Amino acid sequence: MSIHIHHISKTFGSFQALKNVDLEVKTGELVALLGPSGSGKTTLLRIIAGLEFADAGEGSIQFHGTDVTNCSAYERKAGFVFQNYALFNHMTVAENIAFGLRVMPRVTRPDREEIDRAVAELLRRIALEGYGSRYPSQLSGGQKQRVALARALAVGPQVLLLDEPFGALDAKVRKTLRKWLRQFHNETKVTTLFVTHDQDEAFELADRVVVLHEGDIQQIGSPQQLREHPKNEFVADFLDCVMI
Amino acid sequence: MAAIIDIHPPRTVRPRKATAESFFSRWLIISTAVGFMGLMFVLPLVVIFQEAFRKGWEGFIEAFDDRATMHAIWLTLKVAAITVPLNTLFGLAAAWCVSRFQFRGKRFLTSLIELPLWVSPVIAGMVYVLLFGAQGLFGPTLKEHGIKIIFALPGIVLSTIFVTFTFVARILAPQMEAQGQAEEEAAMTLGANGFQMFWRVTLPKIKWGLLYGIILCNARSMGEFGAVSVVSGHIRNKTNTVPLHIEVLYNEYQFVPAFAVASMLALLALVTLILKTLTTTRRGAA
Repeated sequence: MSIHIHHISKTFGSFQALKNVDLEVKTGELVALLGPSGSGKTTLLRIIAGLEFADAGEGSIQFHGTDVTNCSAYERKAGFVFQNYALFNHMTVAENIAFGLRVMPRVTRPDREEIDRAVAELLRRIALEGYGSRYPSQLSGGQKQRVALARALAVGPQVLLLDEPFGALDAKVRKTLRKWLRQFHNETKVTTLFVTHDQDEAFELADRVVVLHEGDIQQIGSPQQLREHPKNEFVADFLDCVMI
Repeated sequence: MAAIIDIHPPRTVRPRKATAESFFSRWLIISTAVGFMGLMFVLPLVVIFQEAFRKGWEGFIEAFDDRATMHAIWLTLKVAAITVPLNTLFGLAAAWCVSRFQFRGKRFLTSLIELPLWVSPVIAGMVYVLLFGAQGLFGPTLKEHGIKIIFALPGIVLSTIFVTFTFVARILAPQMEAQGQAEEEAAMTLGANGFQMFWRVTLPKIKWGLLYGIILCNARSMGEFGAVSVVSGHIRNKTNTVPLHIEVLYNEYQFVPAFAVASMLALLALVTLILKTLTTTRRGAA
C-alpha cells in the first residue's frame, strides 16, 4: 500500500514541528526518515499512524488513494512499533501478539484456534518459540523489540511504521536485528517507514532515505544518491559528521 | 575471581551509613513516634470498644435492636452506594483529563481536585444550603417543582460527594501521568476502540490504585460528619446517618449504644486500613 503525504504542517504551541511536508512512499518500499533529534521525524510518523493530527488546512494523507486525514488511529490500523516497545506488561507475550486479533469486531474476528495458530506462527518467525507464556518483564530488549513487531504484524497491516526501532538496543543486537528486518521486509514486502537518527542504519536498510531538519524535508533519495549528491550544506554536513 | 564477584560484605559487619543516627537519638525518635501514635490513635480505639462492651455482648447487640439505629445504618449504606460509584467515575474522568490532556487552566483544575481537602466540611454543607435551601438561590424553583434536596437524601449525597471527590482522582492522576500513554496508543494502532483500550489496557494498569481510592472514598463517605450535619437537619428515622446518630445517642447519655454504633465505624476504619495496606503493597509490586 502506498502512502501520500501532501502539505502536512504541525505546530505545538509556538513551535513548528513540521513545515509543509510532502512525501510519497511506494507500495512495498522500505523508507528511512533520517534526521537529528527535534527534526520532526517522529512527529511525522505519528501523524501517519493517526496518533497525532496535522494542523487543519490543505494538508492531507492518503493510504493507497483513500483519504485518511481525519481517520483515527484505530481506523487506520497502521502497524506501529514504539521506541520503548509499549508492550502490555500485564499480558503474556502470546496475549500481546494476539491483542490486535482479539479486539476485532465479532464478525471478522478469527476463532480462538485460528488466533492461537497465528500467534504460534508469528512466534516462530521472530524466533521466540516457547516464549509465549512469558511476561514482557522477563524478556531482553531485543526480544521485546521482536514481540512488539510481531504484535504489530499480527493484524496484517498494509503499512508498518517503526519509531527508532533499534534505538534502545546495544550495538551487536542492533546489527543482527537490522539484517533480520531487511530480510523480513524482502519476504513480506509490507510498505515500511522507519525513523532513525543513525545514518548507517538508514543507509544499510532503506531503499530510499528522507533527510529531515527542523521540520523540513532536505532531500529524498537512495543512499547512493545522498552520498554522491547531497543537495545542500546541511545534508552534506549531517552525513559527514556521522561518518567520522 | 570469586572474591571480586562477591561484593556483599559478611553479614556480621553492619555498614554504617552516613545518615545513621546514634543509638540514643534513634531510640528517642522511635519511642516518641510510637508513644504518640499509641496515645492518639490506639488508645481511643481501645476505649471505643471497651465502652461498647461495658454491658457485655448482650448490651452491644441490644444497641442495634433499635429502629432509629437500623435506619441510620441503612441510610449510610445508601449514601455510600450512591456516592462511591459516582465519585469513582468522576475521579477517573478527572484523573484522565489531568494526566492525558494539555490545556489552559490545567494547574487550576489540578488544585481544584484537592479543594475538598483544604476546605472545611462545614463549608461544603453550607454551600449546598445556600444553593438549594428554602432561602437559597434555587430554593424557590425547586419548591415549585416539589423537589427536596436540603434536609433530604439528595442533599446528604451531594455534600458527601463534595467531601469525598478527591480520593480517586488524587490517587490516580499522578499514577496515570507516570505510566504515560504509550500502551494506550499501541492498543489504538492495533484497532482497539476507546472502550476496549480502557477495559483491556488502562484498567489493568491502574486497578490497584483505583481500588485504593475507592476504599478511601467509601470510608470517608460512611464516616463524614460535618458536611452532612449541615444539610441533613438531624431528623431521626429520616436524615440521620450513622455519625450523626452516634452524636444524638451520645447527647442523650445513651453511652453504650453510642459507642456500640461508633465501634462499627471504628471497625470500618480498621478494615479500610488493612485493605489499604494490601492494595499499597500490590501497587508497589505491580
